[in-house]
Amino acid sequence: MQTATLLQLKHGQTKLVDLKEVVSFVRSIVECYGGKRQYLMRMMQEIQKHYGYLPREALEELSKQTGIPLVDVLNIATFYHQFTLEPPGYYIIWVCMGTACHLKGNADNYDILKNILGLDNHSKTTKDGLFSLEKARCFGACSLAPVIMITSRDGSERYLHGHVDPLGLRKIVAKYRSKAIKKIKEKKGGRK
Amino acid sequence: MVKVIVNGKEVEVSEGSVVLDAIKKTGYSVPTLCFFKGVYNEAACRMCLVELPNGKLVPSCAYPVSDGLKITTDSERLRKTRRMVLELILAVHKMKCYQCARKGGFCLLLDFAKEFGVEGIPVCAECPLHGEDCLLVKGEPCLGFLTVAGCGSPCTREGTPCFGCRGPVTREDVIESAVKRFIEHGVDLRDLHSRMKLFWSSFPQFKHVFDLVLKYEKKYMGEKK
Amino acid sequence: MTWNLMDKCCDKCWHTLEYPCRNYIRCRIEGPLCHDDPDCRRKREYRIREILYGKTGFKIKVPMASCTIAAGAQEVYKAVLDEVKSRGINADVTISGCMGMCYMDPWIELSKTGMPSAIYANVKPGQVSKIISEYLGGDVSSAYALRNHTGKAKGEDKVPLLEELPQWKNQVRWVSRNCGIVNPESIEEYIALGGYRGLDKALKMKPEEIIEIIKKAGLRGRGGAGFPTWLKWKIAREQPGDVKYVIMNADEGDPGAFMNRLLAESDPHRVLEGLIIAAYTIGASKGFIFVRAEKPLMAERLSKAVEQARKYGLLGKNILGRGFDFDVEVILSAGAFVCGEETALIAAIEGRTRPRQRPPYPATKGLWGKPTIINNVETLAHVATIMAEGWEKFASMGTEKTKGTKMFCVTGAVQRTGAYEVPVGTTIKKLVEEIAGGPGEGRRIKAVQIGGPSGGCVPASLLTTPIDYETLQKAGAIMGSGGIVVIDDKSCMVDVAKFFTSFTVAESCGKCFPCRIGMKILYDTLTRITEGKGREEDLEILRELGEIVRSASLCALGGTAPNPVLSTLRYFEDEYLAHVRDKKCPAKVCRNLVEYWINPEKCIGCGTCKQNCPSNAISGEPGKKHVIDVSKCIRCGQCFIVCPVGAVEKR
Ligand SMILES: Cc1cc2nc3c(=O)[nH]c(=O)nc-3n(C[C@H](O)[C@H](O)[C@H](O)COP(=O)(O)O)c2cc1C
Ligand code: SF4
Ligand code: SF4
Ligand code: SF4
Ligand code: SF4
Ligand code: SF4
Ligand code: FES
Ligand code: FES
Ligand code: FES
Repeated sequence: MQTATLLQLKHGQTKLVDLKEVVSFVRSIVECYGGKRQYLMRMMQEIQKHYGYLPREALEELSKQTGIPLVDVLNIATFYHQFTLEPPGYYIIWVCMGTACHLKGNADNYDILKNILGLDNHSKTTKDGLFSLEKARCFGACSLAPVIMITSRDGSERYLHGHVDPLGLRKIVAKYRSKAIKKIKEKKGGRK
Repeated sequence: MVKVIVNGKEVEVSEGSVVLDAIKKTGYSVPTLCFFKGVYNEAACRMCLVELPNGKLVPSCAYPVSDGLKITTDSERLRKTRRMVLELILAVHKMKCYQCARKGGFCLLLDFAKEFGVEGIPVCAECPLHGEDCLLVKGEPCLGFLTVAGCGSPCTREGTPCFGCRGPVTREDVIESAVKRFIEHGVDLRDLHSRMKLFWSSFPQFKHVFDLVLKYEKKYMGEKK
Repeated sequence: MTWNLMDKCCDKCWHTLEYPCRNYIRCRIEGPLCHDDPDCRRKREYRIREILYGKTGFKIKVPMASCTIAAGAQEVYKAVLDEVKSRGINADVTISGCMGMCYMDPWIELSKTGMPSAIYANVKPGQVSKIISEYLGGDVSSAYALRNHTGKAKGEDKVPLLEELPQWKNQVRWVSRNCGIVNPESIEEYIALGGYRGLDKALKMKPEEIIEIIKKAGLRGRGGAGFPTWLKWKIAREQPGDVKYVIMNADEGDPGAFMNRLLAESDPHRVLEGLIIAAYTIGASKGFIFVRAEKPLMAERLSKAVEQARKYGLLGKNILGRGFDFDVEVILSAGAFVCGEETALIAAIEGRTRPRQRPPYPATKGLWGKPTIINNVETLAHVATIMAEGWEKFASMGTEKTKGTKMFCVTGAVQRTGAYEVPVGTTIKKLVEEIAGGPGEGRRIKAVQIGGPSGGCVPASLLTTPIDYETLQKAGAIMGSGGIVVIDDKSCMVDVAKFFTSFTVAESCGKCFPCRIGMKILYDTLTRITEGKGREEDLEILRELGEIVRSASLCALGGTAPNPVLSTLRYFEDEYLAHVRDKKCPAKVCRNLVEYWINPEKCIGCGTCKQNCPSNAISGEPGKKHVIDVSKCIRCGQCFIVCPVGAVEKR
């Protein structure tokens, strides 16, 4: 799975980031943290915050500038759940897989969402790039189980839905779909 | 120097050593797989477990010695645990002995499999024939790929293809890759079947091996066409 | 700007960060100590009253912790602010932490001088206006509970006192005393309520004396293993060398346990105080707080607490003039359950991954090879409280072997989910039934899962077991972090075991074979059983393999991961047998073992099921009874979910 994403990134999606920008951005981070191994995780967290995921180029650049072997950087990138090597969708739907939520049927909700979004076992992000589906560990809102959380890619928006009813999932997805389309349009409009 | 008691035998080793050093010094041995002195010392494989008096199992390759430490290197429980760990390793091992660099005498897994009586590694692991010399590559119906190792492969050493006298490896993925090889190298399948029948056909428990072989033959013959 | 309790009272106070006064903390409340001035005294008294009761005499408190925010506290807070503004009333609207009573989220508390303090539960933003009107009109009858009685408000006799409610009465709020009361973002409030007194006392003692006190208190680590805290500290203290580290383990990863988050979000200064005491005791000058990235508010509150402590000289050089230097760095974990394990946590801080073999234990060789102690959030909060309140009180609670209190998070099939603090040794029954309210009418508790993915299931017949490290271990569970999930007869125990196994399979770091491969095989076997392909031998495989994984794994994740399987096998073998022998799931949870059918008496012929069936297994004309063709049905359960009248049934 991981190798698949790496390959995919290597061959398919290299154009997502601007190399020059990557170099200067990584430099600014490395300078900020002194390029120390101790802060490797934090530097990667900064990169992920900036791009929404860890672009391969940025990791290579990070390794080059800090002298930490790329394999160690990738080790961390693939070991910790927070990091993702794939660009996520505009909204990320987190389905809680904690104990309380499991007992109240969130595994079914996950399957239903997968169905609604048209995802198969190998993809996490819809083709239109609007949604990613992720499993999450407890949000600490177990009293509202089953819980799903929807966050925007940049983390600026966060919505938690408690007592999720399987029948209502379609509606929820539709709501965020139109929201995402609207926001993307606004952004594009703003740029012009 | 600290004193360590290995299976009741006292031995002195320098401070900062690991239990494995003490064990070696007493002449006992424990199986080690992942330990490579000075290179890898992460205690990951758990084959070298030994028992402490409180019943805890600890890896001898990484457990530091302390004065008066008592350890047992052999017991029913330890043997069972090591055997189970080995089975776990083999359960996910790709078993590509046919082309493996360790075949023919350098395979620790095979040695342990023999020691603990775990079946599943094919004769190829013991066979000294490599690359072009492999009888399969020459198109001969060698059953080594499908046969449980342990004999030391006397037949292939003599240049005769394996007859499978030790019984088949029953793991589906091994059977699948074997069949794939057979077809790749153009082994005469009828020849192969008659060879398989020689030792295996009288045992009903091996019937599913035949079935699996046929299943994958169909699959890969179809693909070839 | 009003005068801040932390500031100088007048020019005679000579305390500065460079030359700190030794009595700074005590002087905040009891002071002034170095000079006598009734004005300065009055200033303090006045400010403390202001902090406790608000400037205006009318205080509205809204809890702000991730839990309450998830339930909508932010909206309520906004509604309260709007309301206060639009009415033009004089009120202090403040935030507080969480009380741990999740079932009443979001709640608000109104208190006005002369009126009883009233707590309103499950408040919707739309109700805020009515609540405020009623309360100001002297009517508290719609409150959920009152903190005190004044006899002056209407409906007081109808609303119970908080301390009379079973879920409060049976608790002993020792470390959580400030939760839901204090404003977690204000060091001033913490100090006004007696905070940092423990540190003040500790710094006046020799480290050995502190270790002695913690030993007498009988405190054992609350992070899971129950290792005596004093012993850990003593070992680290006795190591040679000047460079030592302390780490606060706030990487709470057990799904279903949130007491650390609650404590750190609601009373962050208490845990920080504990960390500083720990550092002083072992002689560390640098500390780390390792927080889960998934719990951002916890990290934020702790960072804020660190900042404030630094600002007032409780961190930094020469703390309180006792020549002790210490500073703290907050580190965000990138999320992996195994990072809660001590050596993996150290690896994460060093920029590596995965646990390593112990010994050497971190207390002798930890972060960058230096002696390091790692303590749980709750343990540290206990330390601060014990130092402030004295060990005698702490040691008087609990059992022979384990003293004091412990927080438990009760979730699952109970009416009042929440985090409750009780003395160690309280029975599971009391916690689950009296405090958390049991499973409710007509439902039956089947088992209680304690300790999360490392714990085990205790059957209903053992509910009278007192909760302690040893008794739980004997019953096949562990105390762990203290997550308790109540399972009722709607859940299948094999499925529960499978759920926890899937968790550990996903979280295994993959370093050692028994855990990486063994757990996967356990999981595959359980999956086979729930799919109806199990054989009776499988149970033996589960047992044997479980034992091996438990004893042969490298770290405690693998060492405890088979517990859910082994304990369910021990107490619920009949359910396993039903799966493998009769191919039936008694609780009708395992999809492949149930058959869906449409009850003709209930079906209204709406056709919804037919539309949603992915394999066209349902036939029927609109308006007529529908039927499922069992041979085509793939048992996806969609029809069961979508049928508006519940006509699709399992059998
Ligand atoms: C897999 C695993 C996960 C753990 N997770 C946590 C955790 O989230 N929080 C915690 O405080 N301790 C956790 N622990 C326990 C710690 O390793 C350690 O025992 C504890 O922090 C020691 O603190 P204490 O002595 O105060 O209990 C975990 C242990 C294991 C093996
Ligand atoms: S020879 Fe040994 S190491 Fe090589 S594939 Fe076979 S079993 Fe594995
Ligand atoms: S000759 Fe036979 S036993 Fe030897 S490697 Fe080839 S197939 Fe295996
Ligand atoms: S025929 Fe028998 S002895 Fe000869 S190689 Fe095969 S298994 Fe070994
Ligand atoms: S027991 Fe599991 S988590 Fe621990 S080191 Fe082994 S594989 Fe990793
Ligand atoms: S369970 Fe699924 S496949 Fe079976 S009838 Fe219902 S919707 Fe169709
Ligand atoms: S289990 Fe889902 S929020 Fe806790
Ligand atoms: S040799 Fe692998 S654990 Fe010791
Ligand atoms: S309401 Fe805060 S933990 Fe439940």
